Amino acid sequence: MARNHTESRNNCRFLIAIFEREADILAATAEVRRRGQTIADVYTPYPVHGLDKAMDLRPSRLPWVCFALGLAGASFKVWFEFWTSAVDWPINVGGKPWNSLPAFVPVTFEVMVLFAALSTVAAFLFGRRLLPGKRARLASPRVTDNEFALVIEQKDASFSLGEVSAWLREMGASQIEERVEREAF
Amino acid sequence: MIREYEELRLSERTHAIFKWLAILGAATFVVGLMVAPQRAWSSFLMVTIGLLGMGLGAALFIAFQYVCGAHWAVALRRVPEAMCGILPWASLGVLIALLVGRSIYPWTDTHLEGMKGVLLSYSFVVGRAVIFVTLWLLFVGAIIKRSRRQDKTADTGLSMSNKRLSAGFLVVFGLTFWMASFDWVMSLEPEWYSTMYGVYHFAGLFLGALAAMTILAIWLQHAGPLRNVLTHEHLHDLGKMIFGFSTFWMYIWFSEYMLIWYADFPEETGHFIRRQTGGWGPLFVANMCLTWLIPFFILLPKPVKRSPGMLVKVCCMILIGRWLDLYLLIYPSAVGHESVTFGIWELGMALGAPGLFMLVFVRNFRLAAPVPVADPQLQASLAHHQ
Repeated sequence: MARNHTESRNNCRFLIAIFEREADILAATAEVRRRGQTIADVYTPYPVHGLDKAMDLRPSRLPWVCFALGLAGASFKVWFEFWTSAVDWPINVGGKPWNSLPAFVPVTFEVMVLFAALSTVAAFLFGRRLLPGKRARLASPRVTDNEFALVIEQKDASFSLGEVSAWLREMGASQIEERVEREAF
Repeated sequence: MIREYEELRLSERTHAIFKWLAILGAATFVVGLMVAPQRAWSSFLMVTIGLLGMGLGAALFIAFQYVCGAHWAVALRRVPEAMCGILPWASLGVLIALLVGRSIYPWTDTHLEGMKGVLLSYSFVVGRAVIFVTLWLLFVGAIIKRSRRQDKTADTGLSMSNKRLSAGFLVVFGLTFWMASFDWVMSLEPEWYSTMYGVYHFAGLFLGALAAMTILAIWLQHAGPLRNVLTHEHLHDLGKMIFGFSTFWMYIWFSEYMLIWYADFPEETGHFIRRQTGGWGPLFVANMCLTWLIPFFILLPKPVKRSPGMLVKVCCMILIGRWLDLYLLIYPSAVGHESVTFGIWELGMALGAPGLFMLVFVRNFRLAAPVPVADPQLQASLAHHQ
């Protein structure tokens, strides 16, 4: 559910609204967009269905990594099995031809799954810069437990803290906090 | 929230098409019995097993949903319920094939050695068949009766009782269906056996029923009854199930094939050799392409699973693949593997089957409200998202 901000600026001002119900955060997220504010990110304790649509996130590109690396893994494994069992060290197993495709299938399938799964996780971690040593920056410590946090970026001077806070409270925000961060969420 | 649901109205023309297809199938069968009885009975068995698969697959879908407590497909449940309407007809077909068309089974006039002879003694097979179809009809009939009664009484206890019946049906199905597939199809080659056969038939049956159900649901959305009911989210889930079970079918297919290929016992490999030589080879490959390979790659992206147009095309492809699968299972053993036999008897009855199926489906769909209006999970199903 993360939104990528490539431009680095100093001292971004954020408004963090905490919600306690899934339905509220969905409605508030859609409302933020309707009112033309910028969503920095939304944090939820579990994947909330429909949130990607409410945030207007573009479709993830991860499936392409998964597909490409799965295909690459499968091709590599077919070639490797062919090379080991038919070219480099031919062994006669039960009178079968050295190049016996059906025998390659189970391992090819497993290597395809392994490549696809590991590369997807790696691509996700790399894309989100979730590398070792990353310090956790939570909008609220309880987003890992039971709270939903909506983070709005204050883009320009026309942002009225009072007005935005008022309608966020109306939509069910239990807590609203303004925070200044050195870098974007 | 009270909503109005449209009745299913069928144009005269559509109804006439179904009717004439069914008549064409029946006429082909009757004439075929006189001209080419072996092919007519083999084709009859194919149609029967295919239609039985539609009914049983739909019943399994309903049972799975009840047992899991899943709400997403509740709004569509009347589609598989109406599909189950074909079960009495298909059961009758099985009994006719065993009692009247027994000439296609080689074991009916020769006594086989040992346990196989006991298992494939004629009266035992017929007796088992009667028990199997009776059990299925009783369970499925009871589930559908309670679902329809709930429309009127709004009794939530009926959902609970259907949940128990569904669990019972799943166990009964598991214990009976593999035997039924051994008795009615595998015994066409009595010297050959495979313990994967039952689960292979199940994989195909469920995939075929899912494909037919998806086409029917999309058709009913256009025709009226499921307008504003069937959403992209429902289609997405159906698409995921088709994708999954198409792959499951291939997985089971390969599991059977690979073990036989590896062990290379003459009495086992014969089954596959008969289906790869004498012109059957291209069909053998086409079966895999239509049922798994092409649908797999088409259904990979998310937008395709949410697109009614694409789903209908893929489902049609899968249904053709299903027909081919049954053809490959039955024809090389029942009619002869020396050459591919296809002609008017096969074509006529292949066209007649969907005609009969649709006539029964439409009649059954009209027996109840288009959606289970009093099901406690209906609102959740209508509001289903991802």
